Amino acid sequence: MAAPARDPSLVSLGVAERARPLDDDPHWYRRAVFYELGVRGFYDSDGDGVGDLEGVIEKLDYLAWLGIDCIWLLPFYPSPLRDGGYDVADYFSVAPELGTVEDVKRLVDEAHARGIRVIADLVINHTSDQHPWFQESRSSRDNPKADWYVWSDDDQRWSDVRVIFCDTEPSNWTYDPVRGQYYWHRFFHHQPDLNFDNPEVRDAIVSVLRFWLEVGLDGFRLDAVAYLYERDGTRCENLPETHAFLRRLRREMDRDFPGRVLLAEVNQWPADVVDYFGDGDECHMCFHFPLMPRMFMAVRREQRFPITEILAQTPAIPPNCQWGIFLRNHDELTLEMVADDERDYMYQEYAADPRMRKNLGIRRRLAPLIDNDRRVAELLYAFLLSLPGAPVLYYGDEILMGDNIYLGDRDAVRTPMQWTPDRNGGFSRADFAQLHLPPLMDPVYGYQALNVESALRDTSSFLHWLRRMLAIRRHHLVLATGSLEVLPADNPSVLAYVRSGERGEPGGRETILCVANLSRFAQATELSLGRFEGLRPIELIGRSAFPPATDGYQITLGPYGFYWFELEER
Amino acid sequence: MAPTAESLAPLALAYLERQPWFGLAIAGLAPAPAALLSYSVLRDGRPGLARLLVGRGERRFQLLVGWRNPAAVAGMLGGREEAIIGSADDGGEDVLVYEALADDTLALELLDLATQGAEHAERVRHVSTLVSHASLVFDDRLFMKCYRVLEPGVRPEVEAMLRLDSVGFNAMLAPIAAWRAEGFDVALVREFLPGALEGRLLALTSLRDLLARAAEVREASGAPAEDLEEATSATGGDLASEMRRLGAMTGSLHLALAAAFGDRVATPEALAAIVAAGCGEGLERLERARSLVGAIAALEPGTTGRAIRLHGDYHLRRVMRAEPGWVVAGFSDDPLYASRRPHTSLPARTGSPLEDVADMCFSLRQVAREAAQLRPSDEAELAEALAGAWARRNQEAFLEGYRAAPGIDRLLPGHPAAAGLLLEAFALVRDRRYEASPAEG
Repeated sequence: MAAPARDPSLVSLGVAERARPLDDDPHWYRRAVFYELGVRGFYDSDGDGVGDLEGVIEKLDYLAWLGIDCIWLLPFYPSPLRDGGYDVADYFSVAPELGTVEDVKRLVDEAHARGIRVIADLVINHTSDQHPWFQESRSSRDNPKADWYVWSDDDQRWSDVRVIFCDTEPSNWTYDPVRGQYYWHRFFHHQPDLNFDNPEVRDAIVSVLRFWLEVGLDGFRLDAVAYLYERDGTRCENLPETHAFLRRLRREMDRDFPGRVLLAEVNQWPADVVDYFGDGDECHMCFHFPLMPRMFMAVRREQRFPITEILAQTPAIPPNCQWGIFLRNHDELTLEMVADDERDYMYQEYAADPRMRKNLGIRRRLAPLIDNDRRVAELLYAFLLSLPGAPVLYYGDEILMGDNIYLGDRDAVRTPMQWTPDRNGGFSRADFAQLHLPPLMDPVYGYQALNVESALRDTSSFLHWLRRMLAIRRHHLVLATGSLEVLPADNPSVLAYVRSGERGEPGGRETILCVANLSRFAQATELSLGRFEGLRPIELIGRSAFPPATDGYQITLGPYGFYWFELEER
Repeated sequence: MAPTAESLAPLALAYLERQPWFGLAIAGLAPAPAALLSYSVLRDGRPGLARLLVGRGERRFQLLVGWRNPAAVAGMLGGREEAIIGSADDGGEDVLVYEALADDTLALELLDLATQGAEHAERVRHVSTLVSHASLVFDDRLFMKCYRVLEPGVRPEVEAMLRLDSVGFNAMLAPIAAWRAEGFDVALVREFLPGALEGRLLALTSLRDLLARAAEVREASGAPAEDLEEATSATGGDLASEMRRLGAMTGSLHLALAAAFGDRVATPEALAAIVAAGCGEGLERLERARSLVGAIAALEPGTTGRAIRLHGDYHLRRVMRAEPGWVVAGFSDDPLYASRRPHTSLPARTGSPLEDVADMCFSLRQVAREAAQLRPSDEAELAEALAGAWARRNQEAFLEGYRAAPGIDRLLPGHPAAAGLLLEAFALVRDRRYEASPAEG
């Protein structure tokens, strides 16, 4: 393969990364750092005001420099965009304003040349009502695709099943005047559910996956995967038939495309989500949803229990699987999407707290949520990079980008990536009025103040800090794949845990002690490190040696401070 | 082989006289000589282990002793040299005798003995030494209380934990074994939850965050009372949701106590008498106390709820937040406490469950008061106002959680007004007790 083209701005700054080979570890996802981006908002290469696949290719050097392992692309398929592209109108092509299937292939090749993999969102539960499959299905009751969606003469069947978007959708059924029947939809009424009981539908979806795997994608983030089937007398969620279909997808992938991944979005309690790992024969990864709000809650409450209690309720997963964990993403915490247990918890915790209540259901980026406090940002990332799971970064959060809540829920956190202090934040050369969303221009988060170019020049920027942390994590794989044990600490504001497991080389073991202060005040605590007696804690960022571990180990932390210690033989 | 009782007795008695805890345990008692009542060798050889039962007047004490060759003791006690009792003769050989709990090997042996071999551990940690008992933690998994001051009959704490366990109450540090010997409960082994923290620590964390904002709150609100309430809810360290959970757990504790020990009618006369006794001389002085006693006595029979076995010493140090939720950490277990303070909540006492509820509310007020006093003097006024608002908010949340516990209505007064009257009266009793003896607060 030819050497990848270099981003000239990075070369001029002396930060262009040398190509890393793509490793051949089939379990690469267990230690990977993911980077989620929407093609539309990342970089516009052709000046039409909309980000495109070519734009992502041009910014690959930057991502390689940052040190991420896998890009997760939000949906890039043709779509009427009534649900951010999650309403797919054609599974086998690319929205014309974003590029072509050939561009996807080239993106994958260029990314691979830099040691980066690429996965993409895929919605298999439903399509857009504009999808030709639906148009054909609705056209009559006896066309070849008549049974590809879930049709009914009335809207009474499965009437007990909850309506997820209860604010906008009165029912899971909508009447179609063309066919004269109701169709079933778990989400918006313009997103009819596919009928997975029809073997043709199952085969069609398998062929969609095979198509993109042949193009070269390294896997999929499967959206809304809990709702594929409907059965009388059930909640129509998490049904055995759904798991059977996922096992089929997995079998085909393992056989013909080894090393590719399925990452499931199942917004449920961890004890229920683990079913989607199967016996290691369904999804490779699942998101751990409750952990994210609890990290924020723990910092807000200045005590560790919101985190430790959810860790205690998180079951073990098969050895070839991994959680996906995140601080923020394009589309998270709204109460209607969370499982009942979590909803009760969130109500109890949030309802009494005006500030948290205000943020509930509003999509915010990380920085505005934490009042732009860099210390909190560092603490939260320290959790993200050291708690069990593969971290998923959201584009822009690496420079602590802001949001624009006046754009509404969907678009508030999808404003264009801020590359430079130049026109349109360096996102596009188009006229401002032509941009698909306006870039941020406020005095705190605007692109003049906050952009990649400036952050690259400033070695004390958050961007550089995060890059260093990613590098440290890469060298200490136990942070990604090791076991977790929470240590007792006599101060409720201190959270301490140990990650341990095999080191890279055969037979070697590694133990890392993480200690964090959730409070905005300096704190002291005593840790019981008797088990590690004689080992010397080496702080991982500065490699400073601390006094040897003892039973009553006294440790002090600054406000929102944290330490990662490697416990070394003396 | 073991040292003889005759050689040990004078050493042990002199040792006890040197111990501050022993001095506290016999304070106020009529002078009387201490005597060795029994001597049981629990382990022969080196190290050896024995229990001494010592009497002084009516009071009984347990002293666990160990012995080794003098050379083997050097360094073994690791800084706990004060545990050395003295030299004794063991079959013509000199041994050094010391308090057994200071010897990790013997402490591990004691766990085996207390649990009749059901539990073994590899590591032991000394947690605390109080007048009535010493506490050890094994492998961060088990907790053992070795009682020093013994209580005739069944110790109320042991009884309460075992009975609650038998009715399936699991929001407590579960009892593993009770060691009974020579007619006394001598040790209790229960589970240890390493991540669990005393409720008081959580309360202080919450108050720390609130009170540190005293200046910000003053600027923002000008500090009228209603804004203070808002400030407490808006502060990051807000504890209300935790207090709601604690209230719910307290409700389930009371239902379990009723199931384990039974319940009976709490008559207005009996309740009025408890309040009157609790107010002590304050009854003469405080008009509100007199009117409360009168109002309670005048309540209609059958409307004042049930009387149950109380926790009896229910406050923020007696509960812990663990990963699964709140747990009862223990019960009042100090026989001296009850005998010295006739008006305190006594272990093994029966009464309205609202007594425990009032105790916890008092504990919230008290911890808030203490935290406010630690602020700089120029913030004192605002800090006290904030602490007061904090206490009100958290009491309300606690009560809300308590009242919402499924089934708790059966135990409570049928009418909210009667419940309010009783709560106010018990709160007054608790405040009176604090005034009379702040150290016991």
